[in-house]
Amino acid sequence: MVTLVQVVVSGLLLGGVYALLAGGLTLIFGVMRVINLAHGEFLMLGAYASFFLFVRLGLNPILSLLISMPLMFGVGWIAQRLLISRVVRAPLLTSLLLTYGVSLALTGGAQATFTNDFRSVPFLSGALNIGEVAFSVPRLVACVTALVLTGAAQFFLARTRWGKALRATAQSADVALACGIDIDRARMIAFGIATALAGAAGTLTSFLYTVYPEMGKTFMLKAFAVIVLGGMGSFPGAFLGALVLGVIESTASYVTTTQIAEAVIYITLLAMLLLRPQGFFGLKEA
Amino acid sequence: MNSRATGTRGVRIYTGVIGAVTMAIALVPVFGSNYTKTFVMQALMSCALAASWNLISGFTGYVSFGHSAFFGIGAYATGIAIVRGGMPAPIAIVVAGLAAASAGLLFGYPALRLRGPYFAVGMLGVAEAIRVGVTVAEPLTGGGKGLVLIPEDVLTVAYYAMFAVATATVLVTYRVATLPVGLRLLAIREDEVAAELNGIQTTRLKIGAFAVSALFAGLAGGIYAWQMSYIDPGTVFAGSLTVRAIAMTMLGGQGTVFGPVLGSVLLSGISEALWAKFPFLHTALSGVLIIAIVLFLPGGITQILQDRGWIPRSRRL
Repeated sequence: MVTLVQVVVSGLLLGGVYALLAGGLTLIFGVMRVINLAHGEFLMLGAYASFFLFVRLGLNPILSLLISMPLMFGVGWIAQRLLISRVVRAPLLTSLLLTYGVSLALTGGAQATFTNDFRSVPFLSGALNIGEVAFSVPRLVACVTALVLTGAAQFFLARTRWGKALRATAQSADVALACGIDIDRARMIAFGIATALAGAAGTLTSFLYTVYPEMGKTFMLKAFAVIVLGGMGSFPGAFLGALVLGVIESTASYVTTTQIAEAVIYITLLAMLLLRPQGFFGLKEA
Repeated sequence: MNSRATGTRGVRIYTGVIGAVTMAIALVPVFGSNYTKTFVMQALMSCALAASWNLISGFTGYVSFGHSAFFGIGAYATGIAIVRGGMPAPIAIVVAGLAAASAGLLFGYPALRLRGPYFAVGMLGVAEAIRVGVTVAEPLTGGGKGLVLIPEDVLTVAYYAMFAVATATVLVTYRVATLPVGLRLLAIREDEVAAELNGIQTTRLKIGAFAVSALFAGLAGGIYAWQMSYIDPGTVFAGSLTVRAIAMTMLGGQGTVFGPVLGSVLLSGISEALWAKFPFLHTALSGVLIIAIVLFLPGGITQILQDRGWIPRSRRL
């Protein structure tokens, strides 16, 4: 019983971080119908930003979010303005290939500037015991931070004027435009927020895992599984999907091996696509 | 439209160009160095992959992001048949092609019910799931360490085999494009519901095209495995194989016969040059190149040439 609780707890802690990454991915898909294959690389950039701020200035990774998130928002804003905006209305393939190009350019650029060395941020360690269940301190801090940020993003989407504009653009860009919403700006904001969230996920992973130019790939694929589970385009869905996937992953790696757990993730993704492509709360038609 | 290039004279020019290029490729092993042979063989492999991807995705618009799955299945089926089954390589490669085609049927049947982004993500998941599966099945596949085939010097034979597969893929595309079936596939791309309402059996066609596409990718994978005599999951299931095929097809022109050929020749050449000149920036520059293709040549070179009237608007191209 204790083991079971322990496995579920670590799964939920893991899921918090996934939610941050997948939330942005699903937001971009919802608002623009673009599958952003460069999302994992935004995570990587965020991780490097925190790594360098930690190593050069000794800045606490959680505090470094105050610098890295606005920076990443800017990166996303510019990416949307210069590149993605040109393909929003193009066929799916166009935006897929474009974002893959961005992903390659960022990975390659990171390899050339930061080298392929594995880096890590030695920040927090140990465990907190509540009863017989142990909470890893870095994971707990990461998960709480992720929850706060996801909550803030959800609040922005659900309660603010621009959040409403974003949701309107997601529902129907044409009607939103006719209602006087600046959809280009809404899209830039959406992309900026998504990128900032991915960057924050990178910061959190920088002290949980290792930092290297290709780190985005695995997270990216998990984020896909998450948004399919939750329903592509649904922000709350991504949150739920992330927690579910975290628990599935941690249970599967406890019962079998980490490698088989990876296979289980993809099988979950495929099963969900076949049985319920719209996920928990997704759009019926994309 | 400028009709300079149309008519019998035009046809003769194209036949001449195609004949000359074919001859040149056929003669490379006779006169070329091993480097040239390897490079041209790589280009032929890319061409087979691009043309086979084009068969399903270029024509029907179902963007498969998991094409490398079939290449990898072909490579592993060949490796396993040779190493564990003691089969002679040519038979093993044919078996591998059939295995890939069967996998195409198997995955195509459920996956092709998904549309648009769901299909793209689904195929990405299929490719990853198979990659992990192959990595886990260590007793059979050698796991993450890879599988060593019997090393032989087969570069020249493999070169011609790859040439044959690439040519066959293009010929099949030509047949498909010039027969009514090509129009039906294109109709699926333009509007699947309308196609269905016009009596086109979309499901059968899609699955058929998908299986044929998988067959050629599998054959290319098999020949690759035979020639390299070493394969590992990370290389033969690499997503970059799929994306290269997509970028090449887009550069040349999707849903055309010669688009993938043109694209694979150009992109192979450019990427080789980049690799030689900027070994450290190669990945980044490939990314920039893909971005440039998407932004500036979304319809591909074929479309630009047709718009300028330099080549006719024919489905034969």
